[in-house]
Amino acid sequence: MRYSSQSVAYWYFAVAMVLFGLQLVFGLLSATKYLGPDPLLYILPFDVTKVMHTNLLIVWVLAGFMGASYWMIPEESRSELHSVKLAYIQLVLWTLMGVTAIIGYFFRYGTGNKLLEQPLPHKLVIVLCMLIFLYNIGMTIKKSGRFTTTEGVLVLGLVSSAVLFFPALFHYENYTVSIFYRWWTIHLWVEGVWMMIMGSFLAYLLIRLSGADREVMEKWLYVIVGLVFIAGILGTAHHYYWVGVPQYWLPIGGFFSALEPLALAGMAAYAYAAMRRSGLAHPNTLALHWTIGSAVFSLFGAGLLGLAHTWPAVNKWTHGTLITAMHGHAAFYGAYVMIVLAMITYALPGLTQGRREQGSVMGYWAFWLQIAGMFGMTLSFATAGIGQVYLERIMGMGYLDAQLKIQVHFLMLIATASFFTVGVALFIIDFFRYPPRLSVDEASDQESLNAGAASGQ
Amino acid sequence: MNNRQARMFAVGSTAIAALVFLILTLDSHRQFPELTHSENITPQVTRGKDVWHKYNCINCHTLFGEGAYYAPDLTKITEHRGDAYLQAYMRDPSQFYDEQTHRRLMPDQDLSEEEITDLIAFLDWVSKVDNQGWPPRPIRVTGGPMQSASRQVSPSGGEKTSAAGTKTSGTTPVTEEDDYRAQGESVFETATPACTSCHSTAPGADMAGPTMAGIVSRARETLKSDDYTGDATDLESYIRESIVAPSAHIVSGGMYSSGGTSFMPSNYEESLTEKEIAQLVAYLATLK
Ligand code: HEM
Ligand SMILES: [Fe+2]
Repeated sequence: MRYSSQSVAYWYFAVAMVLFGLQLVFGLLSATKYLGPDPLLYILPFDVTKVMHTNLLIVWVLAGFMGASYWMIPEESRSELHSVKLAYIQLVLWTLMGVTAIIGYFFRYGTGNKLLEQPLPHKLVIVLCMLIFLYNIGMTIKKSGRFTTTEGVLVLGLVSSAVLFFPALFHYENYTVSIFYRWWTIHLWVEGVWMMIMGSFLAYLLIRLSGADREVMEKWLYVIVGLVFIAGILGTAHHYYWVGVPQYWLPIGGFFSALEPLALAGMAAYAYAAMRRSGLAHPNTLALHWTIGSAVFSLFGAGLLGLAHTWPAVNKWTHGTLITAMHGHAAFYGAYVMIVLAMITYALPGLTQGRREQGSVMGYWAFWLQIAGMFGMTLSFATAGIGQVYLERIMGMGYLDAQLKIQVHFLMLIATASFFTVGVALFIIDFFRYPPRLSVDEASDQESLNAGAASGQ
Repeated sequence: MNNRQARMFAVGSTAIAALVFLILTLDSHRQFPELTHSENITPQVTRGKDVWHKYNCINCHTLFGEGAYYAPDLTKITEHRGDAYLQAYMRDPSQFYDEQTHRRLMPDQDLSEEEITDLIAFLDWVSKVDNQGWPPRPIRVTGGPMQSASRQVSPSGGEKTSAAGTKTSGTTPVTEEDDYRAQGESVFETATPACTSCHSTAPGADMAGPTMAGIVSRARETLKSDDYTGDATDLESYIRESIVAPSAHIVSGGMYSSGGTSFMPSNYEESLTEKEIAQLVAYLATLK
């Protein structure tokens, strides 16, 4: 840690860790309900556990993005944050928003609009937090006078995320129109502007970990961003299939979303090339695992498994089945969970006392258990989904009867999800094992720099 | 390619894609009223949509295939189930499904009668939106694939075809020359709502309605018994009566009726032609 204000990142990460843990509690509960019968039918039915599961994900991943930005911006701009106090106010507001929303869902206080279930007051707090956040990093950059391409892409990604949240604040009389605009927020986030955020973190980590040439890395970052948007913007149409919009969205969605994996392949190639050319310049090999892992897993989860059902002729049969859950889990995990965990792992030795740069044995177990667990979960959803498509959609078996026939895949889901949860638990324990470091410690900072220099070839 | 060109590529491609997207968005708005029949979004439909949101239905079910995957898709549910059935179902789902059998049950939402009626109006509006003919085959709630799985089922009858006119084709073709009973079997699958969405033809496989297997012998017994309340005198007239006037005689058992009114839709006399009904009768009279 070079700048003492970077330590706010620790608290963002800490909140993210706690909410990540909670997210899995509700995920596991939801999975057991697939197996049924459900003893909690009237206390905590599926719809409630599912809302909590997805909303906790969004809240903690965004907390992770914010923390990671507060870590990265001072380093890139070589300056302390504009206001540490504002950063803490923002964190408190954000956490309160998230926690009260979750408690509210327990009492069915929500909009009941998929993925945008946050009640209006909560949505307004989200906007407020984004404004504080953007103001704070904007001022930091402005005061420092140093603005790198890497952070430029990050800031643009964050600003656009805030802008794209606006359609979610309105109410639409026509259900089809409300679906249309739901995806302006959700799809253009995950397959558009969040990719900029991910790409920027990836570039930052690769430059630090591999010592790759900044000039080259930033050039390719632009190319990746271009690819993301060529395909991603019109690719929104893959959410417009069968919802009551004009016919032309079908071929447009098919063509452009089929191009989306290009950007993801670009990111994976980017990470691979950086490592090959420049080798390892930093002792934090665990962070490197998460970084490369994120690039590879998102190519698999988002690119390959997205492509698998993005063509209208296929999607016609798979739409609204567990095939979607298969892709959603692998894509979100690979792209956004792993990149946040990569940033946390990279920053943690600087943010805590007494931690080895190289990462701990527990940290490696966390990595491999999560990877294996999530891969298994993806396979479980895939096999369940394929069964469902054949039995229910093609053969015409009733929904409830088809679900009975695929029970064994739900067992597999719960088993693999348990592995995954152990991996996450280890990550969280490893996170909290060492106390936070609250000031810049010259000696240890020097040490890690030396270690970095020594191991760089 | 240098850094500046790379940046131009990023900015340029984003701008072009965004522009095309915005133009198509405007055009979609132009078409929404027609595609979604927005003139039919009455205050009642809007209230029904609010009920849908208030009770968080989308986090178990899907509409247009969008939502959660824990409960069946409801896009076309009003084409599969009559009003009376849906109302009774929403008053108490546990009367219709058994958690021990299906390992899953919809919790009673404690809806008011008005909420139920509004919700059905909303779902009915949804079922008529032109969504490119999806789903390609009806998605049923229960039942096995015993209804000749190789067939694609489509809504029938010219004016009753899905509002958009996007009739899915692919039903095993039957022509005028085909046997009357074969044509009846086709009607059994293609009527709106399709008979197959509630009746199977497999022995013992009761769904939302009783199985049609053994209808012949059951009908003969019913006609002989003192409990029979309808006007039919023989097998054919009994089957015909069951189709056009479901409440004339109530079949006991299951959740087939309430207060002397059958849950079976009562509009087949209007939605099917006289010839189609005769074909249906001929077909069903073969199910000994
Ligand atoms: C990091 C990138 C991505 C993330 C985080 C992501 C995440 C998701 C999620 C969570 C859903 C489920 C939405 C719902 O509940 O309805 C979804 C749906 C979908 N995704 Fe992605 N996705 C990504 C990239 C892609 C790519 C690159 C493609 C295509 C090549 C793709 C194709 C699809 C399609 C077609 C659906 C709709 C499935 C349906 O409802 O029928 N996704 N995605
Ligand atoms: Fe998408």
